[in-house]
Amino acid sequence: MISVKNVHKTFGKNEVLKGVDIDVKRGEVVVILGPSGSGKTTLLRCINFLEKADEGELNIGDISVHFRHATRQEILRVRRRTAMVFQSYNLFNNKNAIENVMEGLVTARKIPKGEAYETAKKELDKVGLSDKYNAWPSQLSGGQQQRVAIARAVALNPDVILFDEPTSALDPELVGEVLSVMKSVAREGITMLVVTHEMSFARDIADRVIFMDEGAIVEEGLPRDIFTRPKERRTKQFLDRILLKDEYVKDDYAI
Amino acid sequence: MGKLFDPALIIEYAPLILSRLPVTLLIVFWAIVGGSVLGTLLALARIHKVPFLNGAAVFFISFVRGTPILIQMFIVYYGLPLLLMYFGINITRWAKLNFVLVSYALNNAAFLAEIIRSAILSVPASQSEAAWSVGLSASQTFRRIILPQAFRTAFPAFGARVINAMQDTALAFTLGILDILGQAQAIGIRTYHTLEGYVVTAIIFIVASLLMEHTFAFIERRRLAR
Ligand SMILES: Nc1ncnc2c1ncn2[C@@H]1O[C@H](COP(=O)(O)OP(=O)(O)O)[C@@H](O)[C@H]1O
Ligand SMILES: [Mg+2]
Repeated sequence: MISVKNVHKTFGKNEVLKGVDIDVKRGEVVVILGPSGSGKTTLLRCINFLEKADEGELNIGDISVHFRHATRQEILRVRRRTAMVFQSYNLFNNKNAIENVMEGLVTARKIPKGEAYETAKKELDKVGLSDKYNAWPSQLSGGQQQRVAIARAVALNPDVILFDEPTSALDPELVGEVLSVMKSVAREGITMLVVTHEMSFARDIADRVIFMDEGAIVEEGLPRDIFTRPKERRTKQFLDRILLKDEYVKDDYAI
Repeated sequence: MGKLFDPALIIEYAPLILSRLPVTLLIVFWAIVGGSVLGTLLALARIHKVPFLNGAAVFFISFVRGTPILIQMFIVYYGLPLLLMYFGINITRWAKLNFVLVSYALNNAAFLAEIIRSAILSVPASQSEAAWSVGLSASQTFRRIILPQAFRTAFPAFGARVINAMQDTALAFTLGILDILGQAQAIGIRTYHTLEGYVVTAIIFIVASLLMEHTFAFIERRRLAR
């Protein structure tokens, strides 16, 4: 469905991606784990051409492009096949919830307004915001904003949705509602490439987990294999740290 | 010749002068509409550092801000026909009002360009990225996401500019335009009662400024309420 090959990206002298290959099959949910600064965000941004990778190629459906030589038209085609959910939600501030969901449908895909409105309503209902159609982003909690952002992505019916730490800007008590929406999106069979540190999501939902460090994939496999018997020392160290913190966080809020 | 200052004449002249208010408002209207369109283009040239145009925009803006509008108007009035003649376009038969409209539009473009530029830059890059990610093209992103948000930011400064633009029209009479000030001037020449007419224009300017100020403040409150 979507594959990237040999993605290289350098910022100045900082080599952030050192030849990353990822293959995601239709309907698959792939979680990317890795320490901060390992290049996860940059990788997703390269796939959506929000950064221009120095090298590598992208295949998505029947589109095949070189990152470096992609034309404006090719970039637009890729973006119209993908959707992205950002860490900081990035809802359009000049549009209310339903307009946020409709924008890509109406303006980019030229779907008639009435039809787009129905789709947007349906998607907002699915994320539990049937009473917030007309709310402005500033009137919504972080969790609600992120749910609108997910509805906005799903409404486009893209070949793949890229999630970049969708819950890490949220207050702990709001993480659950967003994760459960992501789980139901996964159950719909939508292809997802998810950067997250939420171990429960990775464990319960992911078909495959990829561990990245210093701009390269260290290892990948089934969640239960990665979590219970990682092959690489760096993976183990990272998991120990995260799980420890997870426990600590849980203790903290388990009063 | 009677009294030097006759308050009764204020009442008598008021309708005559007020009848020229549409001319003043017409100048303001085209100054702001033309200025906004050109100002947006200037702002874009500057933001995207378009070769040559960026430099031209910087020069134009500092020229306009650094010279009195009266001089700008004379330059347009005497210079524009020569310039266009060079391109084979003859505007020597243009109504004087057209030259005034062009001058004020150019003048306001310079001021609005800076207002628009900083408002556009104040919209976070993440808004554009979200728009691109749902498949909007660069120009769709600009028109549908960036510009509306920038306009909101710019609104107070924009309102102040409209009021300034109105007060700036007070020089249009030097080209013989019969706006409210031109009319006051004409009455003064005819009747030797100059001050009364100017008092009328002062009152019109004050009332119009206050009206505009309150209208803008009202719109602002309504928009911020969401
Ligand atoms: N726009 C940028 N300019 C320069 N350096 C960047 C930029 N974006 C990211 N980086 C650097 O790239 C590295 C990887 O960042 P990122 O992809 O955000 O990692 P992660 O998402 O895994 O935490 C970091 O060292 C970061 O400082
Ligand atoms: Mg990141």
